[in-house]
Amino acid sequence: MAKSTIYAGLEIGTHKICVVVGEAKRDGAIKILGVGQAPSRGVRKGEIVDFDKVQTCLNDALVRAEDRSDVMIRNVFLGVSGAHIESLNNRGCFRLPEDQNEVTEDDVEEAKEIARNVAIPQQNVFLHSITRQYIVDGMEAVRQPIGREARTLEADYHIIHGVRGRIQNAIRCVREIPLEVEDVVFNPIAAAQVVLNREAKHQGSLMLDFGAGTVDYVLYEDGMVTASGCVPFGGDHISQDIAQAFQIPHGRAERVKVDEGSTLYHHISPSEMIRMEDENGLFMGEIERGFMNEVMYLRTHEILTLVRDRVEEHLGKLAAGVYLTGGVSLMKGIDAVAKEVFGLKVTRAGSAPVSGVTATFENPQYSAPIGLIRYAQILDSEKPFLSPLARLGRRMADLLT
Amino acid sequence: MVEYDRNQQSEISGRQPLRICVAGVGGAGSNVLDRITMDRTVEATLVSFQTDVRVLHHSTSPRKIQLGTELMRGVGAGGDPDLGREAAMFSKEEIRNAVDGHDMVFISVGLGGGTGSGAAPVVAEIAKSTGALVLVFAAVPFGFEGRRRQQQATDALERLQKCADALVLFDNSRMGELVLPKDGIQKAFAQADQLIAQSVRAVTGMIGAPGIVKLGLDDLVSALRTNEGRCLFGFGEAKGQNRGVDALKKALKSPLINQGQLLQNAKNLLVHIVGGESLTLMEVEQVMKQLGRHVPDETQILFGIGVEPKLGESVTVTLVSSLSATEMASRPPVEAEPEPRREAPVRALVSRAPVTQVAPPPPAPEPEEEPQQLFAEPEPAPEPEPRRPSVAMQAAIAAVAPPPPELFAPAPEVAAPAPAPVFEPEPEPVVQVAPPRPRAQIDAAPAPQPAAPPPPTPEPEVFDEPEMFVEEEPEVAAQEPAWEEPEAPDQVVYLASEMETIDAAVEEEYQPIAPAPAPLARDKGFKLSSVLDTLNSEPLTVAKPTPAPVVDEIFIEATESRTPVLKPIAETAAVPLPRPIARQTPVPVENEVMSHSDFASESEDSDLFGSSPPPVMPSAGNVSKKPAPTPAAEQQTFRLGGNEDRGRFKDTEPALVQGEDLDTPTWMRRQRRVAR
Repeated sequence: MAKSTIYAGLEIGTHKICVVVGEAKRDGAIKILGVGQAPSRGVRKGEIVDFDKVQTCLNDALVRAEDRSDVMIRNVFLGVSGAHIESLNNRGCFRLPEDQNEVTEDDVEEAKEIARNVAIPQQNVFLHSITRQYIVDGMEAVRQPIGREARTLEADYHIIHGVRGRIQNAIRCVREIPLEVEDVVFNPIAAAQVVLNREAKHQGSLMLDFGAGTVDYVLYEDGMVTASGCVPFGGDHISQDIAQAFQIPHGRAERVKVDEGSTLYHHISPSEMIRMEDENGLFMGEIERGFMNEVMYLRTHEILTLVRDRVEEHLGKLAAGVYLTGGVSLMKGIDAVAKEVFGLKVTRAGSAPVSGVTATFENPQYSAPIGLIRYAQILDSEKPFLSPLARLGRRMADLLT
Repeated sequence: MVEYDRNQQSEISGRQPLRICVAGVGGAGSNVLDRITMDRTVEATLVSFQTDVRVLHHSTSPRKIQLGTELMRGVGAGGDPDLGREAAMFSKEEIRNAVDGHDMVFISVGLGGGTGSGAAPVVAEIAKSTGALVLVFAAVPFGFEGRRRQQQATDALERLQKCADALVLFDNSRMGELVLPKDGIQKAFAQADQLIAQSVRAVTGMIGAPGIVKLGLDDLVSALRTNEGRCLFGFGEAKGQNRGVDALKKALKSPLINQGQLLQNAKNLLVHIVGGESLTLMEVEQVMKQLGRHVPDETQILFGIGVEPKLGESVTVTLVSSLSATEMASRPPVEAEPEPRREAPVRALVSRAPVTQVAPPPPAPEPEEEPQQLFAEPEPAPEPEPRRPSVAMQAAIAAVAPPPPELFAPAPEVAAPAPAPVFEPEPEPVVQVAPPRPRAQIDAAPAPQPAAPPPPTPEPEVFDEPEMFVEEEPEVAAQEPAWEEPEAPDQVVYLASEMETIDAAVEEEYQPIAPAPAPLARDKGFKLSSVLDTLNSEPLTVAKPTPAPVVDEIFIEATESRTPVLKPIAETAAVPLPRPIARQTPVPVENEVMSHSDFASESEDSDLFGSSPPPVMPSAGNVSKKPAPTPAAEQQTFRLGGNEDRGRFKDTEPALVQGEDLDTPTWMRRQRRVAR
């Protein structure tokens, strides 16, 4: 690319709405120009339930981001999540014509087409089709099959799809701002671009973006996306459990969770109390710390178990272990719970390789929106050389492996 | 007599081509037949069978037969398959005359209605008895037509399977795929008819028409048979420059072949390419090359080419294959996940082959969806689904391929038409389960007293003796009169399963406070089982006296135990009475929780409950009194059906995993589980 490009990533989260403006330099580095953030209202479990509230908050976040970065934002990359998003792996097999021995570009396209042609529920749309690998005459993990001698060529795809209506609603909500949506990206795919490095992807790793509304996960094996998805439980549920256990408002429960909460409860004496104060610093009551921690532990453990159940079959191959990111990954003791659940090395990670005001942006809360910038950059990096639609698959392959 | 003989002779010697008969039974069948008649591309005897004279008059088919002239007097069957069957029985001879002397009989029928569901099996049976190859093209009713019609369709299918050589199903619900959303409804139906008409035409054309590379009846049969269950069918026709490949694409797009996906597993595939006189070898080559991409290497391809001057500039490609149900089910997860009925529009059930492997997969996909439904609205319907197929399978006379799974999905009401409505009004929890039971029993076994005795009768059967159905089932399948009998067990399945369902649901939500009723009711069922076994095996009259008293007692007990339980709850709402429950609950739980509620019962008491139970968010004053939530929450659960427990997620869709709503706090669910 001749000059640097500015991208904006937008994540409408359950807890916060976040707009990140980043500059992709020509050497591939990313500089964060500004982040606009506003508390989110009207989002539940990663999905928009109240358009008006979300738009108000989004406007807020947008204005802040424009202010800080001094950039007019017109186009955004939109990160989406939600329990409706599912993924699967599919292979398309193409036999080369009898008179032809060498794999050509057309053959690859053909194999891809076959691989991408999977039946998904009627109301669903494809969100991503990511090439995992090519298989040439049974030989796996071929990255570049063109020019090889072969009889059969298989394209192995990871396909992510979601309910059309829900994705459309998110897009519409953003368009009414008005902002143009350049691309819709499944959050963990974006987050993984900045949380996982090449090595982690190759060794095999599971990244969990533990947000307020959902836990999004993506699992890499041998440098290939193997599984991804979303569990519709998150930090909100933890707060809500606390709120209901102590009969306190959700907001206060949330605050107590962030300030005092932990998932470790075994060594806390039953008499240890947390003092609660109202806005004026006046004493309001106390709650039992051990009990609160246990409540948090139970819920966290349950959520992580749900994730484990989904990826169980791949867990044996993850040498790099589990990477935790997202707001809840800041919670005390969550690494211990994750370790207990997955039995793997657990790393808490924010986004690593960006420049800018790094101190702020290494916060795991921003992994997904910053990942969107990275995603946009990689997506664009090959544009000039390739015809846009036909090579999308390969671009994604390079990008994600 | 002499005339007849001569006719026969001349037909055999003179006309080499196959003698084909296309029969349209019922309204939908006739529509397809009209379509075929008007297309005039099929060289076949076209016969329309109808009960309704007026409809019959509208039909354009050259031969029309009114079924059950005396019985029906020219009026339709009114959606009653029994009537349709009767009518067909009355006109047996006419039917035989019409279909006799053909090598192949196609029967097109719309299932679910009276004439179609009732008469088509009779027609198929007669056709089979004349020694013809019988292929049935059946349209299955829309999902929205209701369970009853679906059930009728299912029943009819079961019958058809026994006498048809192949069964091709078209699911009306997929009609939407054939046309654009804005297209008129007439077009949609016309397209559906046309699809079936095309299929008939393609098969007849394939077998009947002379070909350069000829495909015969034997090829067709071998493509369809091979102890596999379901038929894939694709037909495409195209004109223009790329006509060969276009036609193939269309054929692959056919909803009957599921976009070509299913071909990946096909063991043998019959391809027939027919073109006008301008058909070139090049085009054929292209088509086959293209097709090779969709088909694995090992597939045996039965290949045929024909030239049909009538087609002019266009080329048609026909694909016929069959796939066993297991293979269909073993397709990648995606296929299983979409609504089951959508996954494969067409199945042909080849009854000649000794297929027994077909049934096992069907139940599998179903249950996945079930739990959600069960809890969303505790209807009696969903539960029996898995059970039913298995029963059917065991009963299946070896040669019969069991019915396709999704037929059951929409039509789980196994019970015969009459009693069905009884169940609809009772989606309510346990308390209401009792009343409907007697009625159900009355339908089945007229003898016992209406009030108390009957209900338990069926129930224990379900719990203890599922095999009994299996024994009875064959009768059901074999002869009609038997139907009356087995209805009872079938219904029972509902009741019982429903009971279970509700129990589960109730236990889930209500248990903490009123654990008594649910288990109680179930216990009764078990106790009774022995009595009922005898009842079942003995003649009804003998058994009658025995159960009556027993059941009476039990019932009183049950109701008694139920009412008092409920009352105290209402009272305790305001009094500290729930406390004991709260205390019991945590005992087995980890220490933290326990100490917690202990503290509760000591420190603060009824003052919390002085007013009616607080809403979820109490004022700040309550904050210090942590123990309060447990009992309070439980009471709310009881009242509001658990929605209150979901806190701020109460407006969102529930996240059910294994019957638990995970939006409810984990600790709350743990406690309940322990309490139970």
